[in-house]
Amino acid sequence: MPAAPTILERPQRWDAAFDANMTDADVERLLATAPFSGMAAEKFPKRTPLREILRNDARILKFRKGEIIMRQGDYGTSAFLILQGAARVVLKPDLPPSLLGRQATNKKGVFRTLAQLWNRSRPPEMLPRTLLGQSSGVSARQNEKETRVFLQDVPRILDQHRTAQMIAGEFFGEIAALSRMARTSTIFADSDDAELLEIRWQGLRDLMKYDDALRTHINKIYRERALASYLRATPLFKNLSKEQLDRVAEAVEFSTFGDYDWSGEYKRLAQSGSVRPEKEPVIVGEGDYPNGIVLLRAGFARVSQKFGGGERTLNYIGAGQIFGLNEIAHNWRNKESPVNFQFSLRAIGYTHLLVVPTRVMEEIVLPSLLKNELPPLVEKTEDDFDSAAPQTRAREKVGAEILEFLTENRFFNGTASMVIDLDRCTRCDDCVRACASTHDNNPRFLRHGPSAGRLMIANACMHCADPVCMIGCPTGAIHRESFAGQVVINPTTCIGCKSCFTNCPYDAIRMVEARDERGEFLMDQEMKSIAKATKCDLCVENHGGPACERACPHGALERMNLNNLDALSKWLKL
Amino acid sequence: MKRFRRQFIFGLLALIAATVGALWLNAKYNALPNYAYLTGWALLAGMFVLTIYNVRKKLPFLPLGKSETWLQIHIYLGFFTTLLFLIHLNFRLPHGWFEAVLAWLFVLVSGSGFVGLFFSRVLPRRLATRGGEVIFEKIPALCHALKTEAETLALGSEAKSVVIAEFYTKRLAVFFSGPKNFWNHLAESRREVSGLLAELEDLRRFASEIEKEKISKLAALVRQKDGLDYHRALQLALRLWLFVHIPLTYGLLIFTALHIILVFGFSGGAR
Repeated sequence: MPAAPTILERPQRWDAAFDANMTDADVERLLATAPFSGMAAEKFPKRTPLREILRNDARILKFRKGEIIMRQGDYGTSAFLILQGAARVVLKPDLPPSLLGRQATNKKGVFRTLAQLWNRSRPPEMLPRTLLGQSSGVSARQNEKETRVFLQDVPRILDQHRTAQMIAGEFFGEIAALSRMARTSTIFADSDDAELLEIRWQGLRDLMKYDDALRTHINKIYRERALASYLRATPLFKNLSKEQLDRVAEAVEFSTFGDYDWSGEYKRLAQSGSVRPEKEPVIVGEGDYPNGIVLLRAGFARVSQKFGGGERTLNYIGAGQIFGLNEIAHNWRNKESPVNFQFSLRAIGYTHLLVVPTRVMEEIVLPSLLKNELPPLVEKTEDDFDSAAPQTRAREKVGAEILEFLTENRFFNGTASMVIDLDRCTRCDDCVRACASTHDNNPRFLRHGPSAGRLMIANACMHCADPVCMIGCPTGAIHRESFAGQVVINPTTCIGCKSCFTNCPYDAIRMVEARDERGEFLMDQEMKSIAKATKCDLCVENHGGPACERACPHGALERMNLNNLDALSKWLKL
Repeated sequence: MKRFRRQFIFGLLALIAATVGALWLNAKYNALPNYAYLTGWALLAGMFVLTIYNVRKKLPFLPLGKSETWLQIHIYLGFFTTLLFLIHLNFRLPHGWFEAVLAWLFVLVSGSGFVGLFFSRVLPRRLATRGGEVIFEKIPALCHALKTEAETLALGSEAKSVVIAEFYTKRLAVFFSGPKNFWNHLAESRREVSGLLAELEDLRRFASEIEKEKISKLAALVRQKDGLDYHRALQLALRLWLFVHIPLTYGLLIFTALHIILVFGFSGGAR
C-alpha cells in the first residue's frame, strides 16, 4: 500500500520574512515615515497590503560610520531608504579593489610562474600566511547576524575621492535591484547613527505597482541614469538624433518577469525534473498583437512555439537581444497583411525588459533604418519558424536535443562554460591535472556534469552573465575581476558563509577546509575549521588563458559563451 | 574547411612531402662516408622533439602553446621519425643484441604510440554512443554498490527464492565480483552478457510472479554492471597504452644515450 502523503500548508510568499524580527512598532513607525506616510494604503490589494509588504519585505539596519552598505560591482536584490543619519556615495575616482574586499588581479610574473614547479608539493588547500590577514584599509566586524566590512580611514577617503552625502528620505540601489545589474557605486555609512530600511526587490516591485508617486520617482531616475545610455548603445537606435532618442526613452516601458531568486527555485525544479516552458511566465504570447518590440536588458527568455500539446524551444535570448522586430517591421511595410507575434517569449528565471511601443517604432525608429538594416518580411508558412526570424534558427544550428538541453539546464547563462566533446575526449584528465598544477595542486572543477549526446557541460564555474552567486556575499569576496569579466573569489576576505555555494545553481562552487603550511586544518577559537569557497577562476593570474583548455590534447574541451550558439555550432561541426 | 579535417590534410601533406624528401635525400646521399652519423643525429633530434611533449604536459601553467598543437606535431613527427629510423638502419635488420634491443624498444614505443592514436580516435566515440558517462575512479565503488544490491535481492533474508539464489551463486556472483569481459568490450562484443541475460530470462519458466519481478530487477543490474564494465574496459585501454609508451620511451632514451657513447667510443669501427 502506498505511504500516506505528508500534508502541510501550501507555501506562501511571506512564509519567510526578510527579517523575522520586524515588530508592529517598527511597521507603525515606517508607516508614519515618508514616503510610506504619503502612500494610499487602500490602493494596495488585500493579498499584498502595504503594512505586510513593509513587515515582510523590508528590514531595518543600523550602520556605524565607515561601514560599507553596498559596493560598486556587487549584485544586490534590494534597495535602501535612509531613515536616519547619513550615507555617503563615492563618485570619482572609484575605491581601490582592496577597500572593497577584493583582490587586484595581477598576472603572475616569470618567477611566480616558474615557482609553480616546486610549489606543487604543498598540502592541499593551503592558505599562505600572506593571504590570512585582511587587506589594509578595511576591517570586518561581526555581530550575531552578519558581518560588516568598514573603512578604517574615512577622512583619507574623503580627501582622495569625490563623494556626496545622502540624507534621511533618500532612496538608493533601486535600479540595480530592479534591473539586476551590478551596483554602480560604493556607498558607506556617514554617521554612527545611520539607520536604513532595506527593501527586497519583490517589495519594491509591489510598492511601485500600487504607489504612483514612487513609481514615477523611480521611473524618472531610471530614465535619467540608466535608460538613455543604454538606448544610445543599442545598434537599433544608432541612426537616431538626440531628440529622437529622448522621445524613444520617454515612451519606453519597462517591466520585470519571473523570479529574482530563481536559482534556489530552479535547483528544486531541476531536481524534480519539472522545468518546463509551459510553467514559465509569458512575456509575449504567440498570436498576440505586436504592440511593441521587447529589448532584454537583463536575464534570459525562451523563444518558443506551440507544438502538439506543448511548447518547443526555438532559441533563448539574453541581455541586449531584441524580440518582435520582425513582426513590427513587417506590419509597417505591409499594412494590408499584418501579422501577429509568430512565437512566444517566456521569462527564464528572472527577466528585466524594455518595451518600445509600436507607435514609436513606426514613427521614429523604423524610418531611421536603411533598407538593408530592416529584417526580412515574415512569411506566414505553416510550421516554418526558420524563415521568420534569424534568432529562431538556433534549433537548426545546434539541433533540437542540444538546444533543449542547454535551455532546460539554463546553461546559456555561462560566458565561459566548460564544454566537452565526448566524441573526442579520451578521459585522460590532462585538463584536471593542468588545473591542479595551476592552482597549487588543487583542481578547481570536476570533469563530469550533465550531458546530451556528445556534449557535456562540466561542473566548472561558467562565469555567468547573471551571476547569482554574487548576490548576498557579505564581504564582497566573490566579485567580477573587471566589468563583465571573470567571477573570482578573494580567499582573504571569504568568511566561508556558503552564500555563493548555496546560490550557485550549477554546483560549480565548492567549500574547502583551509590548511596551514604543515597541512594542518586552520581552526578558529571555537575549534571549528576555517572554510573557504573555491571555484574556477579561469586562470586569471596565468598567462595564455585557461590551463584546462590549453592542456586538452584532442581539442575536446573549450571554454565557451553558450549565449552565442554560433560558436557552439561551429565547434560541434569541427 | 573544418578544423580537424584541415589539420589532418595539412599534416598528411607535410608528412608525405617530408617522406618523399627524406627518401630522395637518402637515395642521393647514402653513399657519403658519415651518412650514418647524419641520419643518427636527425633521428635523435626527432626523438628529442617527440619526448619534450611529455615535458610540455607536465608544465601546463607555462604559456607553451596548446597541447593539441603539440600532439599534432608529435603524431606526424612520430610517423616521420619511424621512417628516419628505417633510413638510419639502412632498411636492414639490426646487428647484435644491443642494436636489437634498441631497435625493439623503438618499435615498441612507436607501435604503442600508433595503438594509442587508434584508441584515442575510436574509443571516445564508442563511449559517448554507449552513454552513461562515469568517472573511471568511481567505477569500483559503483560496481560494489550494484553487487550489494544484487546480493540482497538474490540472497538477502527476504529473498526466499531457491531458483534465484542458486543462479546467483553459480553465475551472477562471479559476474558481480569484479571487472569482467575486458576483451569482449574492447572488441565491441556483447556475447557474454547476452548469454548471461538469456540464462537469467530462462529462469522465468520456473519463477513465480514475485520471482519474475526479481529477475527483471537482476537483469537491470546486470545491464548496469555491464555498462560500467564497458566504460572501465575502454577507459582503461585509453590509459594503459601510455603505461607502455612512456616507460619504454625512457628505456629507449637510456639505450640511445649508450648507443651514442658506444658509437663515439668506438667510432673507428662504426660502419
